[in-house]
Amino acid sequence: MLNRFSNWLDARTGWRNIWEGIFLRKVPKVNWLYTLGSASLFIVVNQVVTGILLTIYYVPNPDHAYDSVQYITTQVALGWLIRGLHHWGASAMVVLVFLHMLRVIFLGSYKFPREVTWFSGVVLFLVTIGFGFTGYLLPWDEKAYWATTVGTQIAGTPPVIGDVALRILRGGEDLTAMTLVRFFGMHVWVLPAILLSLVGLHVYLVIKHGISTTPKRGEIKHE
Amino acid sequence: MSEESNLSRRKFLAKATVGIGGAITALIGIPAIIYVVGPVLKKEGDSGWMRIGPTSKVTPGTPTLFSIKIERETGWVTNQQDIMVYVYTDDGRNYAAMSNICTHLACRVRWIEERQEFFCPCHNGVFDKHGNVLAGPPPRPLDRFELKTENDEIFIKVG
Repeated sequence: MLNRFSNWLDARTGWRNIWEGIFLRKVPKVNWLYTLGSASLFIVVNQVVTGILLTIYYVPNPDHAYDSVQYITTQVALGWLIRGLHHWGASAMVVLVFLHMLRVIFLGSYKFPREVTWFSGVVLFLVTIGFGFTGYLLPWDEKAYWATTVGTQIAGTPPVIGDVALRILRGGEDLTAMTLVRFFGMHVWVLPAILLSLVGLHVYLVIKHGISTTPKRGEIKHE
Repeated sequence: MSEESNLSRRKFLAKATVGIGGAITALIGIPAIIYVVGPVLKKEGDSGWMRIGPTSKVTPGTPTLFSIKIERETGWVTNQQDIMVYVYTDDGRNYAAMSNICTHLACRVRWIEERQEFFCPCHNGVFDKHGNVLAGPPPRPLDRFELKTENDEIFIKVG
């Protein structure tokens, strides 16, 4: 019965090819460090799911931001869990993505033909940092407010472009409702759009090229 | 390793992946549902008896509109909500308090003096002065509040 259904579906969608291409592809014998990318992807899914859930109660407005976060944490059933997963997941994501990058550097996986995978990964790392920076402001407590004051002030230090950069980040001279709502917009619309498209490209390239083998000693040729 | 044990190892790993993946999905999926639905299931507080005004305001034979403000907690916000009540009496002794919310799809009805009926503009629901349905789609008479009078003051019970 189930078999007949999956045949029916396969004839119409060709899902088996895709499934085999993704999950049944051959991989070289590598070590546990090669799971850091999958771990990062897992955290991305966690952040997307819990982030969407948080927007059900969160309000990006100085009058309500703090209270709505407190409401989620103390009043909503399991709100502490959803917020906690998003909060700790955020830190875990920065750490895992960074370790993943170190693995790729130290084991030389960025080389031909995987340069585009590497470049998309570099942008993904910057996007992750952007998520951390914009997300930090959203609880709108003292820590968030002053951390973002300092962070945006740093953006204002370079000569010539500094002042404009600071104004663009803050949406004006000071850190106000304008800042909160544009950080929110970046955090839930702009960055996720970039992240998800680049993750798609990144994973596609990983599957297309297959994962790199570990470098072996004695492979360097001396002419 | 023989062909057969290779196969069973592969099957085991596939099953384990599906099992662990399913467990993680359930572990976040079930809390997600509770999280979304939870606050909705909380009982709203009962405001108890509220004074709405003096009996002298009500002319026998004509529904009179009273408006009271109550405080409602919605999430982290406490806001004022208006409750509109039509009070009706035939004899100046027995009073009835009717909600102005149409029993069809919750638009607000109003008393039309010339026609001596309540009219709901959304779908042309018509009620008589006692709140009974005269025409249109409403399935039942206008809802009533519990009412009492004390020292010529009218009180209703707001749930």
